[in-house]
Amino acid sequence: MHLRSLRSVSVFIFVLIFVLTSLGLAQESAATISGTVTDSSGKGVANTKVLATNKVSRQSAEAQTDSEGRYTIQSLAPGDYEVTASEDGSNATGTVTLAAGAQQTVSLTLAPSQAPPQSLPSAPTPQKTEPQQNEPSLSDLGFAPTETKANPREQALLDKRTHMLKIHQRMGLITTIPMIATVITSLQAGGHKEDSATRDLHVALGSLTGDLYGITAYYAIRAPKIKGTETRGQIKFHKAMAWIHGPGMILTPILGAMAFSQKNNGEKVHGIAQAHGPVAIVTAGAFGAALLSVSFKF
Amino acid sequence: MIRKLFPCFIFLIFAVSATFAADTTWVLKQSTLTYHVSHPLHQSEGTSHAARGKGICNDGQCDFLIAVPVKTFDSGDSNRDLHMLQVTRGAEYPMVTVRTKLPESAANQSTIDADLEIQFAGQTAHYSQVPFQVTTQGNEKHITGTIPAKLTDFKIEPPSLLTMPVKNEIPIRVDMTWAPQ
Repeated sequence: MHLRSLRSVSVFIFVLIFVLTSLGLAQESAATISGTVTDSSGKGVANTKVLATNKVSRQSAEAQTDSEGRYTIQSLAPGDYEVTASEDGSNATGTVTLAAGAQQTVSLTLAPSQAPPQSLPSAPTPQKTEPQQNEPSLSDLGFAPTETKANPREQALLDKRTHMLKIHQRMGLITTIPMIATVITSLQAGGHKEDSATRDLHVALGSLTGDLYGITAYYAIRAPKIKGTETRGQIKFHKAMAWIHGPGMILTPILGAMAFSQKNNGEKVHGIAQAHGPVAIVTAGAFGAALLSVSFKF
Repeated sequence: MIRKLFPCFIFLIFAVSATFAADTTWVLKQSTLTYHVSHPLHQSEGTSHAARGKGICNDGQCDFLIAVPVKTFDSGDSNRDLHMLQVTRGAEYPMVTVRTKLPESAANQSTIDADLEIQFAGQTAHYSQVPFQVTTQGNEKHITGTIPAKLTDFKIEPPSLLTMPVKNEIPIRVDMTWAPQ
């Protein structure tokens, strides 16, 4: 295969993966609200308009209930929303906080419009069994109020954190594919031929690995931190490995570019550029160890 | 005279013992609750020692309540614990509560079959005839058993690792020591 066509193929693969990845991430960040609109007797109300309004931007999206009163509003940006439904002088309002990619349920019960707006929780309501006389209650057990009080804001943070780390995990797995291919092509990339096609493929795969790695790292670094959480267990090792493969992923392409330039000039790789291979191996090894540390218990 | 007083004496003893029985309260002294999660690549467990409980006995019937904060379950890995907290909506519904009714005589049996009502993750699930073993040490009752909980009982989406979800079954081992107050 000619050098030019190899480069074109490499660029095409890179663009294709980038576009697919971007599409995937865009889909991941869109949130959804679904639920049921019922009347006071609990029967689903059909063909009712349901409006979700962002409390900050005031942007809204709407949907109509189906024959059983169900509705779904998709492609919503993360944020606090007010969800309203109205039908023949009756209305209902609920509030919900959406994290990126979240799927929240807001079920609404229509009441006469004179009644004050009904604020409904975003999650299914527990079937509370009221303690009878002489039955012990939660307050008898002496828990601190901070232990028993719901914290929707922290839940939204946890949702966002999990969502971002799921993307981090997927992107990490995807990154291993070009990373392995880069390591394999490195065996031929150091040949003596000036126009080695494998070397160009190695460079293209290395660049792709670097880009995917950057996206992977972004989702780990930007995932919300939860206050009062001390890092324990295998995740500690996973994070420690990042201090090796992170700088390695910066250093490897710099050294690689130097080695590539020396090779293209017909020179033997010399000086600090000689460290390209060993640094890359340590980087790939640390990346692999980080991946395995959260996959298997050891 | 003695013949007349004897029935009164017996009645008095019965009345006093009945009064004490009506006010019996049990308190959870120690507990270890452990959930078990199975994944194709590994098994993990999370343990909490932070449960609190109380049982009030009246007319030979006891009502027990045990509660534990979701946050207190420790699997040894902070990342896994935060994921557990997220999927179980532990910040929104911070407590797991277990209620059960038992006859007071159950304390003297070696096995109890309890009907449990568990509130967790904003849902309520009922488990019938869950067997527990009872051993007596002095005035304390040591109770062990396993609750056959499932993620779907509480509408919890099974978390996944490397795109593989965990098993639906999350048995919870219970080890408790109760003492009369």
